[in-house]
Amino acid sequence: MTYKVILEQFEGPLDLLLHLISKAKIQIEDISIAEITQQYLDVIEEMQQFDIEVASEFLVMAATLLHIKSCMLLPRQNIGADDEDVADSREDLIEKLLEYKKYKEASEQLQKREEYYSGIFTKLPEELFTSNEDVLANDITVCQLVDALTTLLRSKKHEEKKAPLVHEIRRDPVTIKERIKQLKKYFLYTESTSFSKLFEDDRTKEDIIITFLALLELLKENYIVVMQNKPFGDIAIKRRITDG
Amino acid sequence: MDERDMMAIAESILFVSGEPVELKDLADLLGIDQRKAKKLMESMTDCFNFERRGLQIIALNGKYQLATRPEHSEHIEKFIGQERGQTLSQAALETLAIIAYKQPITKSEVDAIRGVKSDHTISVLINRGYICETGRKDSPGRPILYGTTDLFLRNFGLNSLKDLPPIDNNR
Repeated sequence: MTYKVILEQFEGPLDLLLHLISKAKIQIEDISIAEITQQYLDVIEEMQQFDIEVASEFLVMAATLLHIKSCMLLPRQNIGADDEDVADSREDLIEKLLEYKKYKEASEQLQKREEYYSGIFTKLPEELFTSNEDVLANDITVCQLVDALTTLLRSKKHEEKKAPLVHEIRRDPVTIKERIKQLKKYFLYTESTSFSKLFEDDRTKEDIIITFLALLELLKENYIVVMQNKPFGDIAIKRRITDG
Repeated sequence: MDERDMMAIAESILFVSGEPVELKDLADLLGIDQRKAKKLMESMTDCFNFERRGLQIIALNGKYQLATRPEHSEHIEKFIGQERGQTLSQAALETLAIIAYKQPITKSEVDAIRGVKSDHTISVLINRGYICETGRKDSPGRPILYGTTDLFLRNFGLNSLKDLPPIDNNR
């Protein structure tokens, strides 16, 4: 289907008109509305025959062309406003085409320039410029994790204090192995979470510690990565994308 | 501090910065006025070109940046083991040309010239970093105005918008 290849390259109705004009080897100023309309409609018809969805812009242009043509065909009974309108819309079209052609040609020049000049490479600023934006620390030391844990424990302690004095029957704490299994399962469905969120369900100190140890284990296994956007900020925990 | 010293300092600053450095900043650092600094940068540029160095100094809207030369791109790409990304589509180039020559311009003004909607191509160009929002037009709806960026100048080998190839206005 050679048609499809030819037809698809038009960026819009103006592009198509320019193509028709250059094929007819005429100046834009000399276009015959009758001829160009016929050719334009032929192309649109071909497009539809080949089941190419014709963009509404193409149809609007077709309507405009037909309008100009029909006005020109009608006997000029009252030379006046109407006649001027027709001349105007033809002029408008020519002006639009000229304007569009100007930028189309400019874009060809730009294309050549980009091809050549985009082969220039520059380097990023030296890293000593630490910007105020997100400081991405990909490798967080264990110390920082411990700090975060301490903060967490403190806040939990606070909560515990506030809790009413009721004796709680505790379930046997889960083992680290079980928690690792739980976390792995959790990360299967959630790609990333935050440090504080992970401990939301942990009520007791033992629970927190076990989750934390499990987290360290997962980190050691390279199952997860941790990131902190700013000092003392919440630590984001992400599952490392595995090949599997 | 003689001229050679100043050039050397300017060179090291451009190296550390990586990004374009304002002429004013260079002048302040060297303790000279901007006119003098501009002359210095110009002779430095010539010097780099004359010696056919692998790096060049490019001027972008009165800023200066150290960069490789386009004629070496083939070797650099070979070294990186990766070719440059896709070049722009015809539609995107058309849109870019209109914005470059008529900026600041709104989307509907671009649409009017092209005869088609430009939403997609404009977002492509924004993602490329070639155009950005420059403000809002003082007309109903306060539409967004678009203009080109420094990256546009660099990737098209232009020092400023004045260097855009002239387009025929009288035809």
